[in-house]
Amino acid sequence: MSAAAGTVSLGPVRGIRRAKDTGFTVFLWTCAVLALVPLTWIAFYVMSKGIGALSWNFFTKVPAGPLNPEQGGIVQSFIGTGLIVGIATVIAVPLGILSGIYLAEYGKGRTASAIRLVAYVLLSTPSIVAGAFIWALVVVALGNFSALAGGLSLVVLMWPIVAIASEAVLRLVPQELREGALALGLPRWKAIVRVVMPTAGAGLLTAVMLAVARALGETAPILLTALGNDYVNTDIRAPTDAVPLRVYDYARTPVEALHSIAWGGALVLLVAVLFLAISARILSTRQQKRIA
Amino acid sequence: MSEPTVVLGAGAPARVRRSRVIDRGFRGTTLVVGLGLIALLALMLVELTTGAWRTFDAFGLRFFIGTSWNPVSGREDFGALPFIFGSLVTSGVAIVIGVPIAVGLALLLNQVRGSIANPLTVFVDILAAIPSVVYGLWALFVLKPILDSSVEPFLIATLGKVPLIGALFRGKAQGPDLFTAGVILAIMILPIVTAVSREVIAVVPRDLREAALALGATRYESVRLAVLPYARSGIIGASMLGLGRALGETIAVSLVVGNTPRIGWSLMQPGATIPSWIASSFREATSVGLHRSALLALAVTLVIVAFVLAALSRLLVRRTSDLVGGSAADEVVTEGIYPRAG
Amino acid sequence: MTKIRKLTGAGALTLTIALVAVACSSNSSSSGGSNGGFEGVALTGAGATFPDPIYEQWFKDFQQVESGAKINYQAIGSGGGVEQFTAQTVDFGASDAPLQADEIKALPSPYIELPTVLGGVVIAYNVAGLNTGLKLDGETAAKIFLGDIKTWNDPAIATLNPGVSLPSTPISVVHRSDESGTTFVYTSWLSSQSKDWDTKVGADKAVQWPTGTGGDGNDGVSAAIGQTDGSIGYLSFDFAVSANLGIADIKAADGSFITPSIDSISKAGGGLTFPIKPTTNILNSPASGAYPIATTTYLLLYKDGTDANKAQTIFDFVTWALTKGQATVQQLNYSPLPSDIASQGLTALSGMTANGQPLTASAAVTG
Repeated sequence: MSAAAGTVSLGPVRGIRRAKDTGFTVFLWTCAVLALVPLTWIAFYVMSKGIGALSWNFFTKVPAGPLNPEQGGIVQSFIGTGLIVGIATVIAVPLGILSGIYLAEYGKGRTASAIRLVAYVLLSTPSIVAGAFIWALVVVALGNFSALAGGLSLVVLMWPIVAIASEAVLRLVPQELREGALALGLPRWKAIVRVVMPTAGAGLLTAVMLAVARALGETAPILLTALGNDYVNTDIRAPTDAVPLRVYDYARTPVEALHSIAWGGALVLLVAVLFLAISARILSTRQQKRIA
Repeated sequence: MSEPTVVLGAGAPARVRRSRVIDRGFRGTTLVVGLGLIALLALMLVELTTGAWRTFDAFGLRFFIGTSWNPVSGREDFGALPFIFGSLVTSGVAIVIGVPIAVGLALLLNQVRGSIANPLTVFVDILAAIPSVVYGLWALFVLKPILDSSVEPFLIATLGKVPLIGALFRGKAQGPDLFTAGVILAIMILPIVTAVSREVIAVVPRDLREAALALGATRYESVRLAVLPYARSGIIGASMLGLGRALGETIAVSLVVGNTPRIGWSLMQPGATIPSWIASSFREATSVGLHRSALLALAVTLVIVAFVLAALSRLLVRRTSDLVGGSAADEVVTEGIYPRAG
Repeated sequence: MTKIRKLTGAGALTLTIALVAVACSSNSSSSGGSNGGFEGVALTGAGATFPDPIYEQWFKDFQQVESGAKINYQAIGSGGGVEQFTAQTVDFGASDAPLQADEIKALPSPYIELPTVLGGVVIAYNVAGLNTGLKLDGETAAKIFLGDIKTWNDPAIATLNPGVSLPSTPISVVHRSDESGTTFVYTSWLSSQSKDWDTKVGADKAVQWPTGTGGDGNDGVSAAIGQTDGSIGYLSFDFAVSANLGIADIKAADGSFITPSIDSISKAGGGLTFPIKPTTNILNSPASGAYPIATTTYLLLYKDGTDANKAQTIFDFVTWALTKGQATVQQLNYSPLPSDIASQGLTALSGMTANGQPLTASAAVTG
């Protein structure tokens, strides 16, 4: 008996089937190891190099000068990142999710295909190009570098991520759920907002989190739009600092003493995203429980 | 999917009308926002092309196939081919290495429930936030020495001897090269491809898998027959996210790829990618002379390359039948699970 | 779904509020001596990466003198500095290379260009068995970077280093892949020393290198050299000091070989001529004991400032930097300007005005 594609034959070839199954399990665990080894290594690398820099000064003071950096810190970078990524998130997440909804729920025609294609193309925009684009558009128009421009350059990067990731998870909500909701008399928009989206809730949260994580780690666009600042700034129309920018500068300078602070900044970023990821996970599990 | 009509009880025409208006308004809003993406790309292209115009004017289509890059005033000559080559090769390596590992990990995370899966999941997620300069420096000081001293010599000695693909693994292991850049890119796209694949696989209906198992399929077979076909388009979407990240990565790549514009068969030689080259030169390039304009022309080139790749992948998805919801499961059940007598 | 969006928005808002709260509590500036005089205002500058560490230190130290002078400088590169200065998105610019003719033409108003500190470019190498202090001259260096000299035991290198045992290791050239003032200085020197180099490659912030691999930034080049036996490359002096690589002694015009050091670089500064022209440089200085591949970095200001407070702050800062500031540069491996050059810089600065009114240094600076 021949085995056609996608069929399973029982019987005498049991040995081969078992072998394939074992091989598959081995493959899965190898993948896990191959993925986790470098990622763990990087995490430990950052931790070991950065832990020494964490101090009260580090979190509350501005830089003190390369000759005695331990007397200062990078508080302006934390505030700046919060400001810039905050602006970007508040703009990009609603735009991205709405785009994802359009593509998943209404997207059958050529318009949808065009939008999808554009989203994929925008996805591969080098971050420096996004920065150059916003520089020409916003910085030159305003006459100076600003946190607002920085946020906008991150929107260029975040919007496609949220759109594509949300479409992917919304698409996998079973059709029966939609049809059931409509059969019960819900209008289309309510079916989407109150049934489809909550079901995909965990996935949507992941999509948002991925985009925010990416934004937190970007350097090149911020350099060209927010410029950076050695002082605390809370005015969104003025130059603002950001943690990855600081990390980039300090890690590559010849002054050894600043390297530790750079890694400290990277470590804080990791912890911040850890907090975000755990919250996302808790929220989504709570969500799943409510639906089930 | 045509606009479904809902029949309500008598006496509700006003509510229906208002619902319809809100419905249309909602759909219209999402459409406008979706179109906003197109507007964004168009705007960006306009800005970039305006800056790049002088280069296209000077070199024309020769820019895309030229292989020389000389910014010295008086000797200016710009060609994008070596960078297109570098971008495609490093992203290709990243996808070939990264996607299978990411999907494998995603499958594992979905199988292993609870106390192990959750921390692992969180761990992989947080690594999406590492600044690319951190990846780059780790790659430069930790990864590259390891690859140079063990992995690459091994590949050159084994795969390098095999006909055909052997050409990919010739030459000296030491020094910056396309392979190292590809590996660090693979690591960088792991979090995002794993995360989305994980979500996509998690939503595959459990009854499909259980039905397969109940019919006597092994775990491997149930995944191959019940999970992967259903999740295929989602996994391709996840890979596209990874590809996008790989194509657009600037700093990490520029630290290990060697930044030497060249085209050749071996992965063990240095090269240059479009974004790493733009990032390297952009800060110093001035608008006087063609240099900055040429860099913007390179950026436009990358948009074109991304466009072509995205269109190709869309074709790929359509070929593997872009199905939504139940019909995918139907196809799997009827064609995949039931054993043929024989 | 609205709830998630609300949560994300709320989270972001909470985080921002928390950070702003910390900001307000830590916004107290350092206890600069309040002597009742001009306190200075906030400024923004951008440009060269080479002087970034010393500028950062200067700005912090200057804040002790004028407590309101919050000078924010970001090292985005010389080209970027010139670009932003021209677009007037910053108050002052910084560049490792002097302004070129077309850049000058693009400026909207008259400018002042003056040097602040000295540095140098060294040739670094990593060869098993070779100590630091290998002797090289311009011709040989050019041949190496052209790819004409391929091994370390080449006769050209041997002639310059009698008695040194040279291995037969092949030479791996490392150059900068990113544009930089360091490349500009190094290729300018090679062009001045080798007709061949001048014709085939030339001098610029980025060139088409005939051979070798590219490292990103000084740190990238330094790592690349350190990781491959037989490598040679060029680095900014302040980097080379911490890099633990072999550093070459360069042949000067009088035939002696000079080791790069804070002192030998400083000696080269005497050759700087005012006013600064596109071709100004201090390469191949004829002064005795002067390192041949030395360079300076420039500050760019507009001659007439429209904001009186900002103009006064810049004026005070530059005066302070060219006088008292020179005392700290050595701690960060820079070389101070010779005093007569610093004086000429101050003379160039004295042409600065605010809304047509000439400026004089505040008491806090001259006292």
